Amino acid sequence: MDLIGNLATGFSVALTPANLGFCFLGALIGTLVGVLPGIAPITTIAMLLPFTFTLPPASSLIMLAGIFYGAQYGGSTTAILVNVPGESSAIVTCLDGHQMARKGRAGPALAIAAIASFAAGTIATLIIATASAPMAWLALKFTAPEYFSLMVLGLTGAVVLAHGAPGKAVAMVVVGLMLGLVGIDVNTGAPRMTFGIAELGDGIGFVPIAIGMFGIAELAVTLGRPQDRTLLDVKLGSLWPSREEFRASVPAMLRGTALGSILGVLPGGGAALSSFAAYAFEKKSSKTPERFGHGAIEGVAAPEAANNAGAQTSFIPLLTLGIPGNAIMALMVGAMMIQGVQPGPQVMTSQPELFWGVIASMWTGNLMLIVLNLPLIGLWVSLLRVPYRLMFPAIVLFCCIGTYSVGNSAFDVGVMLLFALLGVFFIKVGAEPAPFILGFILGPLMEENFRRAMMLSRGDPMVFLERPISAGLLILSAVLFAVLVSPALRSGREKVFQE
Amino acid sequence: MGHHTRRLVVAALAAGALGFALAGPADAQNFTKPVTIIVPYAPGGTSDILARLIGPKLSEGIGQPVIVENKPSASGNIGADFVAKAAGDGHTLLITDVGTLATQPSLVKKLSFDVQKDLVPVTMVMFSPYLFAVHPSVPASSWAELLAYAKANPGKLNIANSGVGSIQHLTAIVVQKKRGIDWTHVPYRGGAAAIRAVVANESNVIMNGALPTTPFVKQGQLKGLAVSGEKRLAQLPDLPTFKEIDMPIVETGSWQGFLASKGTPPPMVARLNAELRKVLAIQEISAKIVELGGDVRTNTPDEFTAWMTKAIAEWGEVAKAENISLD
Repeated sequence: MDLIGNLATGFSVALTPANLGFCFLGALIGTLVGVLPGIAPITTIAMLLPFTFTLPPASSLIMLAGIFYGAQYGGSTTAILVNVPGESSAIVTCLDGHQMARKGRAGPALAIAAIASFAAGTIATLIIATASAPMAWLALKFTAPEYFSLMVLGLTGAVVLAHGAPGKAVAMVVVGLMLGLVGIDVNTGAPRMTFGIAELGDGIGFVPIAIGMFGIAELAVTLGRPQDRTLLDVKLGSLWPSREEFRASVPAMLRGTALGSILGVLPGGGAALSSFAAYAFEKKSSKTPERFGHGAIEGVAAPEAANNAGAQTSFIPLLTLGIPGNAIMALMVGAMMIQGVQPGPQVMTSQPELFWGVIASMWTGNLMLIVLNLPLIGLWVSLLRVPYRLMFPAIVLFCCIGTYSVGNSAFDVGVMLLFALLGVFFIKVGAEPAPFILGFILGPLMEENFRRAMMLSRGDPMVFLERPISAGLLILSAVLFAVLVSPALRSGREKVFQE
Repeated sequence: MGHHTRRLVVAALAAGALGFALAGPADAQNFTKPVTIIVPYAPGGTSDILARLIGPKLSEGIGQPVIVENKPSASGNIGADFVAKAAGDGHTLLITDVGTLATQPSLVKKLSFDVQKDLVPVTMVMFSPYLFAVHPSVPASSWAELLAYAKANPGKLNIANSGVGSIQHLTAIVVQKKRGIDWTHVPYRGGAAAIRAVVANESNVIMNGALPTTPFVKQGQLKGLAVSGEKRLAQLPDLPTFKEIDMPIVETGSWQGFLASKGTPPPMVARLNAELRKVLAIQEISAKIVELGGDVRTNTPDEFTAWMTKAIAEWGEVAKAENISLD
């Protein structure tokens, strides 16, 4: 397949006025939900899913994809200016981005975040285009033992990267793991901890938990800290970064893009994990790690590049194999099937306009986003000035509608509100919800793949060590864990998250 | 109250009384308000696509709007329960598949409704066969060769299915018992995950919906062995049918049908049956259903009832013999 010809096909689809319009709409909505804390792209995509029934398949995917990567742009604006991550993937951007804003360098921080996102988006688009086939092949190397070991690594990473005491992070992962076990066991069909409630047969829904914990709970806690709002008056200053800032960020952007592109392809990976990993890597590899947390521009450039690259490359398993790597991609599968497009490897060959059209639109979308973000930054900021007494009820309403619309189920709304309360409790006792949600998502996958691997090896646990990729991942987890418990690193780790 | 108004009221009352008098028997098969089709699965599945395909044409036929509503969760039982408990006036319909209608009743003992008593079958809609395939590394290109391979290499075959108690799983159990083939059943979360696993050679045998599986066979990522039912697939004409290779269970596959709430009067069920069959006879609709991987299959309410009774009994027997239960 020649790349130029394919991209030409793609651009001929992406550049039609209608598709440019849908791409812009997606990017605009994405930026909006990205800027506003509490409204996640997953809620938005779920909410808009019914409206895509009437669109052509390419247009609907172009718009939904735009929301997803657009949110990664918008999330950083709020993180830098208000110290509240607009998206979970922008959590680490708060650390240094907001410190820069406090030092009067808000403009350059925003500019670097947008430029890093654009650069990563462009590179990731090219990566998706050139590497789809081999990447799909790599994903096929992963079978049950590899997935299990990957989940172990993911959960170890969640603990290492968590704020606060490691004990609390471990506890949160375990709570998440346990709640993830609710529902019908895939290997035996036995319902576990469902208490006879039919709705719990499929497990506790991801969307209600995510919206409750990350939407409503975060906002409720924000409301209790009114002083955060005053930080909005931070001077933007000039948008243009200084020469040194630029020189420091370019390599960080490239490293973040590389890391994000790899982590995005892995199941359970995606934007949030990518940005955490990129920040940790930047800090580790820096000659002056003490600058991090006090306004180091690399600490903005790398995670911002990584989350955009990760958001985009998470489309690779979806577009090449039809396998969703995360909850948002699962909604995309739904969107494709509604259109009568059966996701799978045949999409690339049987519907090249759809496949390459969506990929090409990612680039046009990224271009639109940089235009939306930089000159219009004032507009987005003023959006944040809308008082919480107006915004908060509106967001709660949107959260309820979004939760309800996923399954037309009032039960889910109840679950969402319950987890909002639990989320507030967790934050109040200083336990982070991020390891919890990772445990919740990765735990059941880990169990499922562990038991499947054992079933396939006819009960021989050596299978995890005999397969090279699996063994490598397990060794990496062991090293991470050893490093975590070593006292030298613990003090260093605390420094990373000192704000 | 002015003179004018009073006259209106009298007229309205008279009209109402007249309407009431006329309503009697004729009303049993007329549609007086919007009809809701409940899909007990998330948007995007086969039942959902069928409902959205059929809905607009059904609306033209009955002269009332048709609303499609998804009520997913609990393997379709929440949505089915909703229709089971709705008013028996033919204005709430359920479209669902073999899982809710034939296996759940045997697998889940504590169902809040009785599929056979609380729902009235209207008509079947489509039947889609399964494709039986292996990973290309398995040295067998036919069912006979696979049987021989399994005999010579015990413990080497793993058959992926889309979940414990799924038709794929139950069919593989029947084949195992009746033909003595040695394979381990590996459950996955849905057909797509099962295909991925076999393409990756995690498991190496699969029996799964023809539509999602065909592209992998055509591209050589899976090796097709046979197709369930009695009819060869147009897209893979070289594959023999289950009947040709003498499988112990021939008509295994996925099917969907429409049902109404308990108490729906027989004339209404007959009208619905007639309207739905009219819609399914439209060439454009049946062509779409072929695209979905199956064939249009309609029948009378009595035939559909008999089909369901037979399916529930057959699969129930397998589930009971194997002691498979989902609660």
